[in-house]
Amino acid sequence: MTTFLQLLFAGVSLGAVYALVALGFTVVYRASRVINFAQGGLLALGAFFTSWLVLSAGLPFWAAFLIGATTTSFVGWAFQTFVLRWALGRPEFTIVMLTLGLFTILNSVIPTMFGNNPRSNGDTWGSRALHSGGVAFFWVQIWTIVAAIAVLLAYGAFTRFTRYGLAMRSAASDPEAALAVGIPLRRVYATAWLLAGLVACVGGVFVGGYPNSVSPAISDAALLAFPAIILGGLDSPTGAIVGGFLIGIVQELTQGYQPQHVSFLGNNFYIIAPYVVMILVLLVRPYGLFGSRPAERL
Amino acid sequence: MTSARKRRSGFAKVLAFGAAAALGAAACGSSGSSGASSSTTSSGSSSATMKTGPGVDAATKTITIGDITALSGIASVIGKPLDAGYKAYFDSVNAKGGIDGWKVSFNTLDDAYTPQTHVQDYNQMSNSVAFIGTSFGSPTTSAIESQAESAGVMLATVAQDSAFVNHKINLVIGTPYAVDVANGLYYLIKTKGVSNPKVAIFYQNDAYGGDGLKGFEAAKSAYGFQDVGHATYNVTDTSFTAQATQLKNSGAQYVVVTAIPTAAATLIGTAAALGYHPQWILQGPAWSEFLMTSTGTSAGKPTAVEQAMVGAWVLGFEAAWGDTSVPGMNDFLAVQKQSSPTQIPDGYYMYGYCQAQVQAAILKKAIENHDLTRAGILNAKENLGSFSWGGLIPDANYTSSNGPASRQTDIAQVDLNSPGFLKIVSNGFIESSAAKSMTFSG
Amino acid sequence: MTGTFSTGVPVADLEVAPPPGAGGARPADTRTLPPGWGRPARLAVIVIGGLTVPFWAGDYWLSTFGFVLIAAIGALGLDVLTGRTGQISLGHAFFLAAGAYVGGWLGGNEHLTAAISIPLAGVAAGLLGLLTGPAALRLRGLYLGIVTIGLVYIGQYTVQTWTAFSGGSGGRSLPDPKFGSLNFANGFSIGSHLFDRNACYYYLAFLLLVLAMLYVHNIGRSRLGRDMTAVRDRELAAAVLGVNVARTKVRAFVISSALAGISGALYGSFIGFVNPQTWSLVLSIEYVIMIVVGGMGSLWGPLLGSVFVIGLPSLLQRVSGSLPFLSNGNNQGVISPTDAADIAFGVLLIVFLLLEPRGVMGLVHRIRAAAVKRSSGRPVPGINTGGSE
Repeated sequence: MTTFLQLLFAGVSLGAVYALVALGFTVVYRASRVINFAQGGLLALGAFFTSWLVLSAGLPFWAAFLIGATTTSFVGWAFQTFVLRWALGRPEFTIVMLTLGLFTILNSVIPTMFGNNPRSNGDTWGSRALHSGGVAFFWVQIWTIVAAIAVLLAYGAFTRFTRYGLAMRSAASDPEAALAVGIPLRRVYATAWLLAGLVACVGGVFVGGYPNSVSPAISDAALLAFPAIILGGLDSPTGAIVGGFLIGIVQELTQGYQPQHVSFLGNNFYIIAPYVVMILVLLVRPYGLFGSRPAERL
Repeated sequence: MTSARKRRSGFAKVLAFGAAAALGAAACGSSGSSGASSSTTSSGSSSATMKTGPGVDAATKTITIGDITALSGIASVIGKPLDAGYKAYFDSVNAKGGIDGWKVSFNTLDDAYTPQTHVQDYNQMSNSVAFIGTSFGSPTTSAIESQAESAGVMLATVAQDSAFVNHKINLVIGTPYAVDVANGLYYLIKTKGVSNPKVAIFYQNDAYGGDGLKGFEAAKSAYGFQDVGHATYNVTDTSFTAQATQLKNSGAQYVVVTAIPTAAATLIGTAAALGYHPQWILQGPAWSEFLMTSTGTSAGKPTAVEQAMVGAWVLGFEAAWGDTSVPGMNDFLAVQKQSSPTQIPDGYYMYGYCQAQVQAAILKKAIENHDLTRAGILNAKENLGSFSWGGLIPDANYTSSNGPASRQTDIAQVDLNSPGFLKIVSNGFIESSAAKSMTFSG
Repeated sequence: MTGTFSTGVPVADLEVAPPPGAGGARPADTRTLPPGWGRPARLAVIVIGGLTVPFWAGDYWLSTFGFVLIAAIGALGLDVLTGRTGQISLGHAFFLAAGAYVGGWLGGNEHLTAAISIPLAGVAAGLLGLLTGPAALRLRGLYLGIVTIGLVYIGQYTVQTWTAFSGGSGGRSLPDPKFGSLNFANGFSIGSHLFDRNACYYYLAFLLLVLAMLYVHNIGRSRLGRDMTAVRDRELAAAVLGVNVARTKVRAFVISSALAGISGALYGSFIGFVNPQTWSLVLSIEYVIMIVVGGMGSLWGPLLGSVFVIGLPSLLQRVSGSLPFLSNGNNQGVISPTDAADIAFGVLLIVFLLLEPRGVMGLVHRIRAAAVKRSSGRPVPGINTGGSE
């Protein structure tokens, strides 16, 4: 039972990381119907820059975190403002490829700037953990879960209660109609990218938390979050969170139990378990668990 | 459809014409390339008796060595210090007038640890270097082995996989991973006298991990211990809770860790938080000084996992950095100070230095034999006989029979007050009976 | 767009720079040829120029060109699926891997001639495409793109787990192709000239690429090609007009993966040693960059794209000695050539998408159109220059 609880907690905290990454995708997708392949790059940028500010520039963690988040938000905003705005109205494939371009750039800029050595994320929790009933709860993991839920709630409040949130939803549902009623599309998209950058930094810093470290490989975490967003449905923030937690738990429990109990699948089945779950769900519900099916017209 | 078929036949004619023209051009093409190679030989024959091959210029008495290593990408963490140490030694040799008057120069290319680039790099230099002085990594070296073998090029292989000890062209130094693990467990059971311990292994899901497992199994059949669990991981993993829990539940008191540094640190950190503190036995590549502090030296900020790492054993075959009781250490430190004053204590730097040392000796032998052709260099390697690095790494005997360069291992312990955070705890090098009798195939 | 190459491009307008070494073989001036001869003449120049490469290129460039041509076969396949049929796929690495392991197993373990093993590698990968195609039918656009990422991970898992076939995580070596007594490892001689391993691979890839381009060119002119275009441009409308959308997509998947399989078989044995990491998502992304930069839906785009994606890092590596900001073994620059190349890819991907979505091929068309306009003052039929004048 202790083992199960320990694995479950690990799954939940891994899921919280996925959820944070997934939320970053959802924010952009809801505003502009585009999957942002650069999210992983922004994630790594935020984590590395924050870590560098703490360890090399000597800033306190929270100040570094703030600056890091501001920077990634700025990069997101700038990418929308200086690049994506020229692609307004182009096919989604074009825009997705543009984000892939940004990802490729970030993936090489980051090691060039910060080196390839793994580093700690510079947070204040370190390796401290809360022990209860034989199960260890890392503080950083507890905070990851808190952060994921807090970001979700804040985002929910933002879309519900602010004018920008409303504008974002209308921009997504029909850009032309939104323009017609005077919604500044460019500013809406820029805000979405700003938020995506912010969420990316939060995700990145937590991905690199103890006992993990910040390394160039953490941009892959974004790829692992793909099943989460698909499972939840691309345009649903709740779906992103539920999908994230679900995938984290599935992966962790598979890793914990499958090698002993279903050994013929080999030692690596847990890596693809999220994708297997995703494909099975998609074959039944092609737009995810919470996603909406768009109307099609000729 | 008919028009398509017509088109195809039309194109076929074009193709046939092209092929004929290409064959016609063959004559001038081939004469051009053979002209280039004969010029090297003719300039070689001008120096009385020295037989020369590709990459050897008798006129300027320069030997060019190929160097394919990881200077970018994740593996550059290893590739960069290694290359620095390697070149530091040859620089010092050149500064003292070279090897019997012959200077060494390099053709260095970055492969970013990708096999495809490694193959391209090899092709770029294969006709203009005497041998490959650094072929960094295991999958990358495997990618060029067959080409190098048919060209008779010596490949100094920077990888301790068992797979490379049995090939005539590979120049290996140090101890294979599998032997290290067997020696480490011998140290535990025979030297420390722990009888029938509970031992588990955590290994990476690839050839490197497989080597660790090989040593583990060899020691188990030789010395007998309770094998309580095998846990594996993949390099892309971010969570190690499942493995740490599995090891904890197995009750293992000793855990062999055949991993890369980030994975080792994550496992050990996770286990520590679960209240599980076995004696960790790290395979050499699982260790990095950057696991301890942000800069890799005691001046840096401690990492969160630092405390959990202290006391872990690290299996290796190198002397402790700065231990001047080792005869070769003073020279090594002098060269390092001269060439790379900012270099922090790092095992890969020392490894590169040692590779260069034995290569210089092989070149010296080849020069004595008046044969700097590729065959001459391979011949010099096979007849080098016993070679000593002054205790930096275990002595080796290079003959025509294949096998690992060494079957000796030393055991270090992670210690906050030692240079490079490592303190040697074994009494010199260990060579266990299981290591002696280990066989290598393939 | 599919038809740009075949629809009435005037004969006298393509300036093909004669590849070095082909100088003597080039017809004096294509402009003076009678109408209808220009294109065959141009093709002849390209083919002859291509065939002479092993005579003048050094080993480095010859092996690089070998990788370029091999990748172009795979990129051509991806373009059938993405450029011509509009189905986004990031799973190309999966089919490349399938071809490599099947080819390696047939050639290495079963000792079959490459004349059988390479086509069978294509067939095997095509069958996998046939299996995945129907599952992909339910998904649209980006959903499909992401599910195909799953394919990459599932492929790597299969390779790791099915060790007898693939060597597992440790990887396996793949043998050089053998055709009867011709072993690529040893090369062959004609007269006094030795065609070494690199030349063998180059010629085989050249031949297969020519065949693949002919095949894809013909598809473009067939009913299937028109169906693909219809599906790409407006799927629902295509269905209404009687195009069998499902069958078209599945056939695109099969063709795409079969070409990937052939490309993968060549790639694997040219590298000689493969492990699961060889077939990562990065490889898929490289292929996507190739078709986008080269020009989607065009016959020559995939080749131009692979020249670019494989040639650029090699070029930067080569010149790193003379550009101080690039680091190499001897000097510490600001950035490694590999990283610089990746950044350049990203930037070029963005620049092309924004300014010339038809890729390098689009640029070629533009330059050609501008040249013709200047020399003759007449408009160029059949070319849409995208309003850029």
